[in-house]
Amino acid sequence: MNEVRTLIVDDSSVMRKIVERALRQAGLDTMVVHEAGSGVEGLDLLRAKQVDLILSDINMPSMDGLEFLRQLRAQNLAPGVPVVMITTESSEEHVKQAILAGAQGYIRKPFTAEQVKERVLPLLNAA
Amino acid sequence: MVLNGVRNAAIATARNGGSKEMGRTMAVSLRESVQLVSDPRNLDATVEEVFQMMLGVACERSSTPIAKEPESVTAVVGFGGLLSGACVFRSGSTTAIRIAQLMTGMEFDDVDDTVKDAIGEIGNMLAGAWKGKVPDLAANCGLSVPAVITGRDYNLHVQAPEFQLHHAYRFEESGFEVTIVCDGLQ
Repeated sequence: MNEVRTLIVDDSSVMRKIVERALRQAGLDTMVVHEAGSGVEGLDLLRAKQVDLILSDINMPSMDGLEFLRQLRAQNLAPGVPVVMITTESSEEHVKQAILAGAQGYIRKPFTAEQVKERVLPLLNAA
Repeated sequence: MVLNGVRNAAIATARNGGSKEMGRTMAVSLRESVQLVSDPRNLDATVEEVFQMMLGVACERSSTPIAKEPESVTAVVGFGGLLSGACVFRSGSTTAIRIAQLMTGMEFDDVDDTVKDAIGEIGNMLAGAWKGKVPDLAANCGLSVPAVITGRDYNLHVQAPEFQLHHAYRFEESGFEVTIVCDGLQ
């Protein structure tokens, strides 16, 4: 697979590292990773850089992941780029809200590298 | 005071979940499923799952309390909505450092910001996975962002909780405690 430019949005730097490691274990070993500690930071970064994949937490202070996703779509940033939400929230209602806001995938924490591979690679192959 | 702060944040999170969800909240009650919500096996299964998947270690319930260390690290994640209360993770600093090492692959000499971040995420995942065991709870209970407290000689006290689960666990040679405190159930 070609180099994949990835944005990981999470207020936890530890979780950003874990997501990056899981993506590399899933086969994206030539990936370029951009990190954002909040939804606002993620939007700012997307105004300056192009990415091929976005993974975002939902439960974050100041701007949560769903609002980040809504703003992303409203401002037409990263059009066509798949967005996968990674979160501890697992109810059908939360999944529905994420899909309605424009997410293509949903990964529940805790997760394995295998689960990340199953949810992310098909989206990249389809893009 | 910390518990009240994170619980209020969780209530705000639950309220921000959207009017449709809150509309559903009005029709759902956890009172009838209190046995399921307070089932201690859910907490054990949650802890085993989080530690196996995120740290790659087997973790099991221990009948003995964790060994006292001079400094301890506590993560508190509040619940709001149909259930109010908190999930509290507590360990000594040595265990907290070991958990952070396993999560990140990095080495740590003391409880720095990255270790605190890792313990906060452990608390977050424990709280989320625990409430995910009961579908009505998963859909109608919000989580606060984690608060992490470090220090010596402090105790957690909750006045007259609805129910409380307090379990000790072990992995490798390390031990920690997880407490679920419910002080309100609708």
